[in-house]
Amino acid sequence: MITGGALWRRHLLGIIVCLLTMRVALAADRVVLIANSGNSVSELNSLEVQKLFLGLTVYAGGSALHPLRNESDQLLREIFYQDIISMSELTYERRLLALTLQQGRTAPPIYKSSRQLVSAVASDPAAISFAWATEVANDPRIKVLRVVGQE
Amino acid sequence: MNPRVIHRSLGLALSGLLCVHVAHAAEDSEHHNMSSEPSSEFVLFVSSEAHHFSEAASNGELNEDAPLIGDAVLAVNHGQFRLFGEFGLSTEEHDLERFQIGYEVIPNTVVWIGRFHQPASAWNTEHHHGRYLQTAITRPSIELWEDEDGVVPQHITGVYVDSRRPIGESSGLHLAAGAGLGVTIQKDGLQELNLLDPDASGRRLSLSARIAYLPNYVGTSEFGLLAAHNNMPVLDHVTSTLLHATNVEQNLYGVFANWSNEPWKIQAAVYDLEMNLTEVGSARPETVVAGYLQVERLLPKHLTAYAREENSDHANHSIYVTLNHPDFELRRATIGLRWDFLHNQALTAEIAKAQRVGAGNTEYRLQWSAALQ
Repeated sequence: MITGGALWRRHLLGIIVCLLTMRVALAADRVVLIANSGNSVSELNSLEVQKLFLGLTVYAGGSALHPLRNESDQLLREIFYQDIISMSELTYERRLLALTLQQGRTAPPIYKSSRQLVSAVASDPAAISFAWATEVANDPRIKVLRVVGQE
Repeated sequence: MNPRVIHRSLGLALSGLLCVHVAHAAEDSEHHNMSSEPSSEFVLFVSSEAHHFSEAASNGELNEDAPLIGDAVLAVNHGQFRLFGEFGLSTEEHDLERFQIGYEVIPNTVVWIGRFHQPASAWNTEHHHGRYLQTAITRPSIELWEDEDGVVPQHITGVYVDSRRPIGESSGLHLAAGAGLGVTIQKDGLQELNLLDPDASGRRLSLSARIAYLPNYVGTSEFGLLAAHNNMPVLDHVTSTLLHATNVEQNLYGVFANWSNEPWKIQAAVYDLEMNLTEVGSARPETVVAGYLQVERLLPKHLTAYAREENSDHANHSIYVTLNHPDFELRRATIGLRWDFLHNQALTAEIAKAQRVGAGNTEYRLQWSAALQ
């Protein structure tokens, strides 16, 4: 026979397990803006991030930031255009070409592997990029600035 | 100019630019995550054109109409230092269009030295020589380059400052100013300083500036004012006799708007050219007003329709325009359709009806353009 206290404990355990599962699931679905843990930057607003990924100069903590594009999967590409740069792919590509032609700007380097991207951010104190939250969770070399889409 | 000198200079310039790019590309592939490494960008803008004109221009076909045009652009960024080169190559000519070395003194404010495009041109500051990036095949007559019978000097060799300052939360201000050696006037029109065979003798000061409001700092819309002062000596005797002038002083005042809100895009500019043609003991003032309005609309299936109207006032009474730039179009109406059919590649068809001094012309053009990286 199950006592009232035991039933309450089972319910509590169930709720905790549920919450933990939801948290893992949520974390897996989130894209986060990341920086090297040694970078003093604590926040970047949407305009600064847009400028950065267009190749324009953005300073934080006394040094120019280095944007790195993460194209390790198709969904990340779509999130980049929709939520980070807020332009269609065609508009963004043309804007990069125009900025090279007009101002001699260079486009941010592209990484096709998330492992290489995380290593690049970890080795460059000025690097800024984005990744799935689960891929950088518990990595002491990386700090999460914010969840993409939440400012 | 000696052809051997041209080819040697051309070879040196091209190999220099390519060596820098290849060296940086090799370094980038190994260490592109290191903060101290330079980054580089190489883009080749190419276009190929077929056309039919009801009447040929008096000076023959312009370089703009060459069957094949290549424009190689190289940008190298290393910390606050910048290197930029643009080399134009066509079946009609080759030229180091721009070569600039710059230093970013504060974020998004760069001081350049070298040969640059003067900032008081609304169209050329936006599109430069990259024909793939301009929707239309042709540029407005008032915006033509010096070697295409342009009436406004477009290249200056000297110092150039370009700055984009934020205003408020998302707007900005674009300020640019350049000063240096300008063009001379010869029988073929305006002659800019050639960096591959520099001859600065007789050249005088050119000044050029723009101030523009950017409603969205990272967007493409701009509304602004333009101003330039060009002092252009007439170097050859025949032209000097024709113009009754040994020097032409040209002041340019302009207003422009580039407005972009998908699916619409509008580009418009109006220029007031105040000129003074002088020789010993006499001076003759001339005024020319010219402008254009281009409207573009994105359509389904990656199509873009566009129309442009150009017009001018007093140009047909200007000795400077009619005698030294006989192919200047007093009025022109253009319509076209562009199809972006592949990544960074487009096909464009264009029809234009143009009116020059004493002649009319209908033009049909078909162009393939691309940006190769």
